Amino acid sequence: MISFQNVSFSYPDSERPAIQNINLEVAPGTLALVIGESGSGKSTLLRCVNGLVPHFSGGSLQGNVRVNGLDPVQATPKVMSRHVGFIFQDPEAQFVVDRVEDEIAFALENFALPAEEIRMRVAEVLDLLSLKALRYRRLETLSGGERQRVAMATALVMRPEVLVLDEPTSQLDPKSAHDVLETLVRLNRTLDLTVLLAEHRIERVLPFADQLIALNVEGNGGISGPPRQVFTQTDITPPVVTLGKELGWQPLPMTVEEGRKFIPDIESRTPKSETIPTPVSHKGEPFLQIHDLEVRYGNQIILDRVNLDLLQGEILVLMGPNGAGKTTLLRTIVGLLQPAKGKVIAGGVDISNKRMDEICRAVGYLPQDPNALLFADSALEELMITLRNHAGKMDAAGEQEADRTARALLERLELINQADDYPRDLSVGQRQRVALGAITVTKPKTLLLDEPTRGLDYGAKQSLAQLLRGWRDEGMAILLVTHDVELAAEVADRAAILKQGKISSCGDPSRVMRSSVRFTPQIARLFPYTDWLTVQDALIGIRQIFS
Amino acid sequence: MIHTWAWIGWLISALVALSITRNPLYLFLILLCIALVGWTQERRLSSESSQTQNLLPFSPFKFVLVIITLSALFNAVISHFGETVLFSLPEWLPFLGGPITLEALAFGAINGLVLGGIFAAFTVLNLALPVRSLVRLIPRAYYPVAVITSIAITFIPNATRQFHHIREAQAIRGHRVRGLRGWLPLIMPLLVGGLERALGLAEAMTARGFASSEGGNQTSQTRLGMVLGLLMLFGGWLLRLIEGGQLLGIGLMILGITLIAAMLWSIGRSVPRTNYNQEIWRFRDFLVLIGSMGVISAFLLPIPWIDQSILHYNPYPILNLPGFDPLIGAATMGLLIPIFIIKPK
Amino acid sequence: MTKRFSTSRLLSFLTYGVTTSMGLILFIYPFLFPALTQKSTLGQARLTEMPLLITLLLALCLVVLLYEVQGQAVDTKLIALLGILVAINSALRFMEVAIPGPAGFSPIFFLIILTGYVFGGRFGFLLGVLTIFVSAIVTGGVGPWLPSQMFAAGWVGMSAPLCRPLVNKLDGEGKISEVIILAVFGALWGLGYGVIMNLWTWPFIAGPTDQYWQTGISWVEILQRYGAYYLITSLAWDFIRAAGNFLLILLLGAPTLIALRRFKHRFTFTYRSSDSQGSKLDQTGDAS
Repeated sequence: MISFQNVSFSYPDSERPAIQNINLEVAPGTLALVIGESGSGKSTLLRCVNGLVPHFSGGSLQGNVRVNGLDPVQATPKVMSRHVGFIFQDPEAQFVVDRVEDEIAFALENFALPAEEIRMRVAEVLDLLSLKALRYRRLETLSGGERQRVAMATALVMRPEVLVLDEPTSQLDPKSAHDVLETLVRLNRTLDLTVLLAEHRIERVLPFADQLIALNVEGNGGISGPPRQVFTQTDITPPVVTLGKELGWQPLPMTVEEGRKFIPDIESRTPKSETIPTPVSHKGEPFLQIHDLEVRYGNQIILDRVNLDLLQGEILVLMGPNGAGKTTLLRTIVGLLQPAKGKVIAGGVDISNKRMDEICRAVGYLPQDPNALLFADSALEELMITLRNHAGKMDAAGEQEADRTARALLERLELINQADDYPRDLSVGQRQRVALGAITVTKPKTLLLDEPTRGLDYGAKQSLAQLLRGWRDEGMAILLVTHDVELAAEVADRAAILKQGKISSCGDPSRVMRSSVRFTPQIARLFPYTDWLTVQDALIGIRQIFS
Repeated sequence: MIHTWAWIGWLISALVALSITRNPLYLFLILLCIALVGWTQERRLSSESSQTQNLLPFSPFKFVLVIITLSALFNAVISHFGETVLFSLPEWLPFLGGPITLEALAFGAINGLVLGGIFAAFTVLNLALPVRSLVRLIPRAYYPVAVITSIAITFIPNATRQFHHIREAQAIRGHRVRGLRGWLPLIMPLLVGGLERALGLAEAMTARGFASSEGGNQTSQTRLGMVLGLLMLFGGWLLRLIEGGQLLGIGLMILGITLIAAMLWSIGRSVPRTNYNQEIWRFRDFLVLIGSMGVISAFLLPIPWIDQSILHYNPYPILNLPGFDPLIGAATMGLLIPIFIIKPK
Repeated sequence: MTKRFSTSRLLSFLTYGVTTSMGLILFIYPFLFPALTQKSTLGQARLTEMPLLITLLLALCLVVLLYEVQGQAVDTKLIALLGILVAINSALRFMEVAIPGPAGFSPIFFLIILTGYVFGGRFGFLLGVLTIFVSAIVTGGVGPWLPSQMFAAGWVGMSAPLCRPLVNKLDGEGKISEVIILAVFGALWGLGYGVIMNLWTWPFIAGPTDQYWQTGISWVEILQRYGAYYLITSLAWDFIRAAGNFLLILLLGAPTLIALRRFKHRFTFTYRSSDSQGSKLDQTGDAS
């Protein structure tokens, strides 16, 4: 169905090729996963399939791509759109019209199909994707997951043979992501649709993947084959697979269920009540104290008498279902929202009467979309802008001092080589670090992060974890809101769950995260009777048992 | 509900009536009809839970009253013709000095009635037609413009939301909006984010088969045709102003408009697209149309048993009572037909 | 090939010329007509219908001009870019309540002028026309003032490239003089837009007789009367608009120009097929 022969491609302005010597075949009806770090060429590869590369992007393409016998380069994206449907990452940026029904019909209108035919196909695809209830709704009233399903409908209404998706769930919360992927798997199975999917969080789709394509940052070659085979040759693996590789489990387990087969002899030797000694605590006095906080939106209570303490030198991970009020909590702490009752005390000072710019000198807040922060011409300038905001007028000596501070921070953020680069051209991970720099350059005592893992690849997440640990060791109080349980497992000193506006549990991560399946990392699900959360925990623990 | 073009016809008839007569009785009647239709539309909108557009922040009725009053006063102090003097302003005042007459007041009020009527008629249109219908009015010859409009309307809520996010994001790094310079960190991310988003959107559109060359074929013939039509229109209009050029003028104008319309139609035909959501023209729309045509005929066309000179009224030089022809009055009620179109349950 | 090329340019010139001159005449007709119609004995009917008829003619003028500007083919990237920018500009227009400014201050001309300057007259024209149109539709503000507003805003954007030769003659791109020239341009149009709109409303407000013409009076007298009307009604508003444009462009112009130029590069591209001897399809998004 899809074949790449010796395909290489360079974007118009870069000397380095984005992909090099790609050879692979995807058979009809396959669900193929494309994995790889940022910059490895996943997006480029996907866009070769429907001709966006090179027609939309420019640049020079070598080699042969064939999709169902067609050459996308010759056929142009317009023709290819009848054979290949493409879904993009951002659920907000794909739509032309504001109603679901009209949007789905848009593609067909482009091809001048008769109105009756359009009507029939629209009804058909609404049924297929269970979108009938949303037919007359305005797109802006839909959730991210619903919007991605509408995007899938707009692609499927053309009756393509192939569906290509470029990180469709990276901007979505777990439930929406689950819905989208479940729909995708169903389509693959029932319609025999060939699916090509690039994702970072592959655990959900892995059980259904027939083929895995792994690209590496050098951009050459790329490995393609059945998942078990490819995993042995790449490092980007989910925790259960990593553990399996380390312990030499055969056949390599893809999911927690498969991994359980190898547990019995370990389980039998695990003393059930043993507690692993906690690492040296950096925790100090509470820096942030939240007393009986109540926040309303109109008549609705969003936060219902929340009590929480954040200690110096700790990373507290806050999790919870979508809409529970996590973002509201962060915004109230930093002063963007006024509570109806209760108060927030930071460093011994009640901040409810303070001005925003005073608060944010001590409380750093990284919003969900860091792009809203960035507008300067260089990374260094971004940090300087924050310093100037706080300092007002600076004389020459002040400017020099600020410059030094900013550069030191850039060093720490591993961005010193990008100091003069235009921030919006950097990768997602780098942009996030610039944003972090912009809010931590005032050396705040506490840091609040709102869902920082969106769109980050594995390497970027590790960098972030390292950065946070470094700050924590220096005594910063960090509150991390995330639904990425694996990252939470890596960095959490304490964990808390916010459900329906109330803190339902707070304390030791291994206990809190096991309280509900949706917050439990893979390793914890594999070893429910221990308090292991990460691969490291498991390896240390297992080696202890067997030594 | 009522078809878009039926509403357009209604609007045209109201505008024609308003632009032809200065007789305050008729103007008042027209305004009343428009107000009633507007009132029913407003009730319809507030009963439907989904609001599709911002309703005016002020009451249209009050606004019309304000227009009438202001216009009357304005004219009274600027224009000093008329016989019935109420009082006099000192002569040395530039433009304002001189007798303030009742006739000038009346004339201003009449002008206000016309303006109020125009404003009210458009208000009704805004209430009656949802945004989508207005976009659909764009002729197919302007397909790229229609797509741009569509994208813009779809994206506006997003842009507003983005703006609030940006304001918050800048606030948390210590930014305070002081004067115009404070706008910089708010506008720049919005703009640059928008530019990035446009690229993504273009990509998504391309992936769905939207190709650049569907602009509506512009050939030399069509371009020439459009310009010629416009020139004819202009020439015809000028002719009408000259003595004796009446018939030729109108004829030329009609010719010009027809040419332009024909061009648009033929260009539209050559655009290879279908229009998915077609409005259906129903019997009720015919009724509305007939009402509109009735109004236009009564006011415009030379019908033997209607005395159209009644429509021309002049309060100068001395205030007099306006005449009234019940036939024209009855025809004016044709504007009321949309009230009787009740939504079937 | 060259023959068709020059026919196209000729038609373009013709269309722009006719619509612009027609538009001008339609706006300033109060000054011209008493002299023109000196000999006529027009009834009042002609005069009462004039303002609406003028509006209709303006609308048709706009229709023809819009068709010409739209052109043969509009690139997908440009359509997307215009769509997004129209949205942002419209949002700015009715969002000024969030960041208060005095009455008359209108933030929309800032982008119209700068994008017209960077991307070309066609782009600026479309941004101007469609900002007015879309913001009117969305706020329920459709009215007879639309054609004049759209026309005037379109002219603002279309004329922005006129600054280019002046900029080149001075210090060139990227210097402070560029921003100053554009700021002055914005101030002039701030006043100009007000004058145009006011010209359009004058016959409506003033009524058909007395205020602006009696058959036979000279155009100097009419100018005086218009002056009075303008002073009373819109001078303050226009001054604020002009000052607002000036300040906005002066303060925000430089970084905006940088951003727009950075992106201009991305909206054009060259596609080369894999056999490099093959044809090089050059498609530019530049809409001048």
